[in-house]
Amino acid sequence: MPPKEQPTLYSVPKTTVWFAIVSLVLLGSLVWVVYSDYAREWKAWQRKFIQLKVEKAKAELAAVDKKVDQKKLEELEKQHSEALRIFQEHKGEYAKLEKEIARLDMEIGKVRDRGQTLKQFQDSARYFFEKYRAHGDSRAAEYQQKLDSLAPQIEKAKLDQESHEARRDEKQKALDELSAKVRGTQKDIDLALAEKTRIEKKLANVQPTLAKEILNAPMIDFIAPSLRIQQVVLEDLYDDYHFAKVQKVDRCTTCHLGIDQKGFENAPQPFKTHPNPDLFLSPASPHPLEKVGCTVCHGGNGHSVSFIESAHTPRNEEQAKEWEKKYRWHRMEKWENRILPLNHTEASCTKCHKNVVEVPQADKLNKGRKLAETYGCFGCHKVEGFENRWKVGPSLLDVRSKLDKDWITRWLESPKSFRDSTKMPQFFHLENTDSSQDREMSDAAIEGIVAYLAKNSGEVALEKPPVEGNIEHGQKLVKEIGCLGCHTAEGVSVNYFGPELSGMGSKVRADWLYTWLKDPKHYSPSTRMPNLRLSEQEAVDIAAYLLSQHNETFEKQPLPSVKPEVVDKMVMMHLQKNLRHEEARAELAKMSPEAKLEFLGKQSISHQGCFACHDIKGFEDTKPIGTELSDHGRKDVYTLDFGLVHVDHTREAWFFQKLKKPRIFDEGKEKLYYEKLRMPHFGFTDEQAESLVTFLLSLNQEVIPLEMQRRLNLKEEQIETGRLLVSKFNCQGCHTLDGKEGLIRSTFTDLGGAPPILEGEGAKVQEKWLDGFLKQPSAIRPWLTYRMPTFSFDDEQASHLVQYFVNLAHQEVNYKGLVLPETTPQKLEDGKLLFEKFQCVKCHKVDRTSMAMGASFLAPDLTLTKERLKTDWVVNWLKDPQAMQEGTMMPGFFPDGQSPLPDVLGGDVLQQMEAIRDYLYRYAPQPAQNPEPPKPEIPAIVKE
Amino acid sequence: MIETFRQLVNSFASPVTIFTSAMVLFILFVTFPAQMTSPWITLPIVAVVVAFFAVGLTDPHFVSIVTAPDNVPIVALLFITGYFTWYSMRKACENDRRMARGEPPKEKLESEEKVLVFPYLIYIEFVIALVYAIGLVVWSILLKAPLEEPANPTVAPNPSKAPWYFLGLQEMLVYYDPWIAGVLFPTLIIIGLCAIPYIDRDTETSGFFSFKARRPVITVFLFGFWILWILLILVGTFLRGPNWNFFGPFEFWDVHKVVPLLNVNLSEFIFIKWLAWGLPKQWFVREAPGIILVLLYFMVPPAILAKTLFKKYYKKLGPVRYSVMVMLLLFMLALPIKMYFRWAFNLKYIVAIPEFFFNI
Repeated sequence: MPPKEQPTLYSVPKTTVWFAIVSLVLLGSLVWVVYSDYAREWKAWQRKFIQLKVEKAKAELAAVDKKVDQKKLEELEKQHSEALRIFQEHKGEYAKLEKEIARLDMEIGKVRDRGQTLKQFQDSARYFFEKYRAHGDSRAAEYQQKLDSLAPQIEKAKLDQESHEARRDEKQKALDELSAKVRGTQKDIDLALAEKTRIEKKLANVQPTLAKEILNAPMIDFIAPSLRIQQVVLEDLYDDYHFAKVQKVDRCTTCHLGIDQKGFENAPQPFKTHPNPDLFLSPASPHPLEKVGCTVCHGGNGHSVSFIESAHTPRNEEQAKEWEKKYRWHRMEKWENRILPLNHTEASCTKCHKNVVEVPQADKLNKGRKLAETYGCFGCHKVEGFENRWKVGPSLLDVRSKLDKDWITRWLESPKSFRDSTKMPQFFHLENTDSSQDREMSDAAIEGIVAYLAKNSGEVALEKPPVEGNIEHGQKLVKEIGCLGCHTAEGVSVNYFGPELSGMGSKVRADWLYTWLKDPKHYSPSTRMPNLRLSEQEAVDIAAYLLSQHNETFEKQPLPSVKPEVVDKMVMMHLQKNLRHEEARAELAKMSPEAKLEFLGKQSISHQGCFACHDIKGFEDTKPIGTELSDHGRKDVYTLDFGLVHVDHTREAWFFQKLKKPRIFDEGKEKLYYEKLRMPHFGFTDEQAESLVTFLLSLNQEVIPLEMQRRLNLKEEQIETGRLLVSKFNCQGCHTLDGKEGLIRSTFTDLGGAPPILEGEGAKVQEKWLDGFLKQPSAIRPWLTYRMPTFSFDDEQASHLVQYFVNLAHQEVNYKGLVLPETTPQKLEDGKLLFEKFQCVKCHKVDRTSMAMGASFLAPDLTLTKERLKTDWVVNWLKDPQAMQEGTMMPGFFPDGQSPLPDVLGGDVLQQMEAIRDYLYRYAPQPAQNPEPPKPEIPAIVKE
Repeated sequence: MIETFRQLVNSFASPVTIFTSAMVLFILFVTFPAQMTSPWITLPIVAVVVAFFAVGLTDPHFVSIVTAPDNVPIVALLFITGYFTWYSMRKACENDRRMARGEPPKEKLESEEKVLVFPYLIYIEFVIALVYAIGLVVWSILLKAPLEEPANPTVAPNPSKAPWYFLGLQEMLVYYDPWIAGVLFPTLIIIGLCAIPYIDRDTETSGFFSFKARRPVITVFLFGFWILWILLILVGTFLRGPNWNFFGPFEFWDVHKVVPLLNVNLSEFIFIKWLAWGLPKQWFVREAPGIILVLLYFMVPPAILAKTLFKKYYKKLGPVRYSVMVMLLLFMLALPIKMYFRWAFNLKYIVAIPEFFFNI
């Protein structure tokens, strides 16, 4: 049925109009599809970079243009046009030669072809000849004939070719002669403009052109676009996508285009050159871009080419705000592996640099590590790779001999009120236990701990100081004998290794301190405090001086009074963990007040984890109380309890808060006393906390293939073992060693009186001697007031240290002792002569006259040489002392390889040095001439 | 001002209030369809909803939930299904009025005007198909696929939500065990939808919009569709947050929110609270009251209804079709009934037999 005139439900013309409209809109939407596929963030950046490069090239061009010597150029051009004019005159000749050469080229071609054809026939004939001959076929003779006839033909073709070529070369030479002048002048001009031409070419290369624009146009940009995603595919690194390991692909260089190019140091981001290209990215560096990529260190999503989705992290609030405004940046909440904030990038080093005490050049990380070690973090928190660390607090096994109850109580109440610099953190009365109720309970817990320690402590026999001490002399000794190598005292605070020496009079008694100073291991066999081999008088004097200092405000602090009902309540709390209320009541009733306190003390110690840092009886095998931190660098953020605190929901923000205020995440929460957070307050500064955050972020068990890791060889392992010991015993507190300046050295005005520099010590001294010296040191430089203490190293520690020193000096460990180099009596005589002429004994002897020169001019006794020094070292030392130890007062006797005494041994420098060496190793002065060295009168060498 | 509004809405919002007010609105709608579909009522309602969204969009939490690319279709769902329901009901009311006056329905007039499928219908359909294509293209450009980071098997997303079309079922899981909410109910929904043409074989009122003549059937359908499907999807999408906790529309989805969940089984009510006997050891004794209650629920009301309210239907449908219909209806009603029991008495299970994982 045909439609009605005026249909109500349909109308073909109307539908057609709609069809037209809709078609256009659809077309528009398709254009939009193409455009939105084409318009990528990174393309805009690449265009900007091209612009930057063009600008840069233009600037360079302008600079070069200015440098071009215009006058010289004009001169050259004049010469060139002159040459051209002359050349024009011989043009006919030139054309003729060219023609001739072309003809000869053709001839050569022909002959070459003939030769090659014949060669083909020859090869084939040879094949058949060999085959038939081997099979005894009669046709062999036929092919032999062929071969024979071909050989002269080939020879002829070759000769023909050669004669043609010779003729051609002749003509070419003539031709070149004709144009030589013109080409010469042209070359001069080119040379003058070489730099300019190079930059012009570069500019042309980077400058956008129509052809490039077309190749970059939508829909055809798949062919050969100049804007393209840049990526490094990393052979041996993987992204862990939980169900699959995917080869790492870093596309960061798509936008960070200048990162591995010099010259963009001041360019705006993202084009800036890497700040440390010698260490990273450049092909010669230890971390080349092609091998290491970007995200393995920086984190983030390397596959992404979008600013937001590659998980960029701002370095601070301010930058976050700026990014939000500029790029509509937001944090990728669900991408756990976000880019590390720039101040924590060093955290990634440990992914590959494992089992080392310090990661080279990662100062912040190393600082964080050292802090964690110093403050005893590893006591409570298990961390893989740090299990071999030691308890940082003093042993409390015999604490009764050392401290009285009141002092411990006041100390636990507030350690910092006794000594501001103490490493003992504050456990009680922190912000989450600050209510009067909590304070009462904390006071009870402290009293309990004190009671437990008193009850469970042994006693050590103490010696009474035999004589009265001299405070002033004691003070002098503290300054000069070596205490400052570990302790802060007397306003000299370069070392915080041991406790600050202040207020001791308020803390310990004379007999304990005297006994301790005489032999620290007597009171605490596990202490790291070494024995300075003090005489009775010295020990008495130092003790007298230290005890003269009191901390009166601390002494006056009132002791808290503890209500028995609070103790009862707390004991009940603990009892009820395992018992029913009534049973617990009965148990409580059975306890005496002392037993209650002791019980409460034991529970409190195990609650607070005191045994993590201190040896306490009854807690020998107790497990530490902290969370394991081995993989905290990757800890899922949602597993961190931010409580009601408003900080960024990131690992680093949480760690920082926790370190600054360990109890903060309890803020606003209702918790029972024993449910509260219990990490103590260390009082870290912002800087310290930040370093520790870097360290925490570095705890990452991401699996990096072994071949990508920095693996240590045996020697390096030995060095690391030694480094740990050096760190444990604070060798660098006094000695310059392993690239670190001895801390105490900065306090010396006359560095001759400072503890010796130990760089290269392994090459200098004999292993056997070093081993003996470490175990039982003796004075080598008697003029030094600082004493090398006796650390009582055991065999293992001493041999580790020897290996450390020797390997550090790139030597082989050798305990066999020295093989003396052969010598002749004449050489020894000459050695003696030189020895006297150079006046070695003037310094290498300690007596009144030499002391008068000042400590810097004093040198070790040379009689020690044969047991102590290595022969090679002696020669090297004589050759150029400054090269081996900058600033030494040892004069170089052989400047520029010339001997001042040309008569001896024919003036041969090496011979002379060897002669001295040989003499030294056989040197034994008459005993009568070498009286007991006088007791050094110590010059004032410590900076006041 | 806006802040107080938000707080007011948040404090008012709860499963009970939302479900109950939706029920009230629904009852009003089916009781006074003509009035409810008149512009005087509809426009203010639309205005209120739009105003709610407009005010809501000033709230960051609301925005983040409503504009999430997965959730945008649900917002559209609310408006689109609302519009179509309103449209068909309006048409139905108009036809009802016409028929009351003795006139034929509007569709009758239109159906006299017959045209060929091709080109007239196909042409229009083609243009509409293009419009849809444009819609999809623009949508896919503007709202990017919500792809997330690589899945981590140790981290479950919280809240773990089903695709939007299953969120109604997921919401049912709050009240019933998976075998009912995840197996029995979906099966019955499919069977029930298949069964509609066999139960309702009324030809007199088919082929055009009408309401009066088939009020119960349409009411049952709309109840199942709007209340038990669309509403539960909306609640599941917008108001269920981490740990499947209920959150007001302007409330921050706090992972740590804790609400008490103290649910008691029927057997505990009877044997411990009322009789104070202690729970019987045998499960069949313990659960006897619940089992009896369930059996009574499915046996008594059909019989009573056949004699009273549904007398006419019983006659019209015959015993078999009648019982199928009533059974489907009872299953449907089981959900709101259990919901109200839960809200009123913290009732957990009517029948709870953990011995072989059978709970109702």
